[in-house]
Amino acid sequence: MSRMSSPSIGMDEDSGAGHALTDFLLQLENYSPSIPDSVVAYYLNMSGFESQDPRLIRLIALASQKFLSDIANDALQHCKMRTSSQINQSSKNQKGPKEKKYVMTMEDLVPALQEYGISAKKPHYFV
Amino acid sequence: MSENTEKVESSCDARRRILNIAVSTVLLETGFHATDKMSLETLTEIVQCFLTEVGNSAKGYCELSGRVEPVIGDVMMAIINMGINLQGIEQYAARPNRHVIQPPQQAPVPRT
Repeated sequence: MSRMSSPSIGMDEDSGAGHALTDFLLQLENYSPSIPDSVVAYYLNMSGFESQDPRLIRLIALASQKFLSDIANDALQHCKMRTSSQINQSSKNQKGPKEKKYVMTMEDLVPALQEYGISAKKPHYFV
Repeated sequence: MSENTEKVESSCDARRRILNIAVSTVLLETGFHATDKMSLETLTEIVQCFLTEVGNSAKGYCELSGRVEPVIGDVMMAIINMGINLQGIEQYAARPNRHVIQPPQQAPVPRT
């Protein structure tokens, strides 16, 4: 719920928001996001969006990347919490710190997605 | 006919593969060391849906105001209306150690 209301907080400061946006758009002129422009443009064109301005495509790429990054961050917190409780249990048996490797599984991803309003269900039969 | 559909599928797969790489890159940046196949595919599907939905929505806003080509306002309306948090996107854009994926090679135009 708090996430849904947060973008409107930024829009309340009406004087600065529009100005900052045009500034940011100018910065995107020579910036390359992780996802290549051509790939993003392909998916946008598939849904009828056709723009000659590469900055808009980069903005969308960046927004999707940030969205993904936020989800991944939440999932990582879930993963850390889960593994730390497991390690505490197992460290009673064997001592010595081990190198932690974080592996993303559906167990972490599902609650993280739930917070963003995406309900994902793991099929039982899928191996 | 079958050749045509095969061609479309393979071109979709090429983009999909790049999205897969992009998702993996973001996950690595976040701090994960590995992921299982199902989570990776789920996230890839989410990104693909995100791009399609933003395109669709921005086009809708653009046509609603009687324009043909989308402007930044349409894109922002689409993104904000989807409930995506855009605060801190400038800091995110300027983050250190970011990776850039090489754009796919274009197949040369066949000579006739």
